[in-house]
Amino acid sequence: MKCPQVQKRLSAFQDGELTSQEKERVSRHLESCSVCRERYAEMEKAWQALGDLKEIPPEPGFYGQLVKKINDSYETRSPVGFQWLFQFFSSPWVASTLLLAGILIGTFLGNFLAGSDLFPFRPSMASKSPGAVEVVSFRVFDPVPPGTLGEGYMRMVRNTEVQYR
Amino acid sequence: MGKTVSTEDLMAQVAEGDEYAFEVLVRRHQTSILNLIYRYVGDRTKAKDLAQEVLIRVWRAANRYEPKAKFTTWIYRITANLCLNELKSYGKRKLLFGERPIEEGQTLNEESNVSPSAEDILLAEERSRQISHALQNLPEKQRMALILKRYDNLSYGEIAKIMECSISAVESLLVRAKRNLHEKLAHHKK
Repeated sequence: MKCPQVQKRLSAFQDGELTSQEKERVSRHLESCSVCRERYAEMEKAWQALGDLKEIPPEPGFYGQLVKKINDSYETRSPVGFQWLFQFFSSPWVASTLLLAGILIGTFLGNFLAGSDLFPFRPSMASKSPGAVEVVSFRVFDPVPPGTLGEGYMRMVRNTEVQYR
Repeated sequence: MGKTVSTEDLMAQVAEGDEYAFEVLVRRHQTSILNLIYRYVGDRTKAKDLAQEVLIRVWRAANRYEPKAKFTTWIYRITANLCLNELKSYGKRKLLFGERPIEEGQTLNEESNVSPSAEDILLAEERSRQISHALQNLPEKQRMALILKRYDNLSYGEIAKIMECSISAVESLLVRAKRNLHEKLAHHKK
């Protein structure tokens, strides 16, 4: 056997997984090859070192906690038959698709109701010309919207300033 | 003298909803499952949570268990799958660094009747931490194969069944795992 072949089988040799024939061949090679013998010694060293990692005992309340988790899981489970529905809607893809669809439908319905006679609270200017709706909408966000008490006050202040000059 | 009930018989009783049989089963296997996971993840709290998750799966899947499969192989396969898959979502390297795997109060040198000195305890803890750290830094499959071989003394055939791969793949994993572990431990000493 050559070194690369032997080194591939060193783990199985160490773990007692070789046939007696293979074991014999690896043993003979190790006797004559210092490189492979060194490799095997390193492997043994690492193997022994793993023994220093100690076992941990389970906590005293381990079983009690386990039973509680099992009982809780039964209580929080959705009724049988509807589980697939909950799993389906809890998927992030489905949730984001539904959200997007909701926004699109909401926008469409909003535009549709604003432009149709079915919508009773439409501003009166909207019926006069198609562009009027936009004007009203924008003016609502003016610092001093026209026709409001604020606008009357501002006009009064301006007039007063003119009189004093 | 009471005869010990086999694990396969216990599982048959668990499948019928026998809680007492489940408790016996848990007490029989909890330490090996907990330690397999603890050595794999290097974190005691996470290991406890995952071990309980494995046992919850055993309770739920008891009626699907077929006695022709060896129980330890079956439960270790559940454990290995959980470790290999679940930890990906947990952030596979997040918990592995900067955490001491040996917590205060953990039993060390349990076999010895002589009380070890504080220095001995510290040295043993430090050594254990180094080993755990080196183990955590191995690639996932190499680590799992090495733990199953070293601590549970399973044959290559059993490990192959648990990890759902060929025997030659297990051998290859173990060759690389042992070489890597040696390098990492040598690096620690420097």
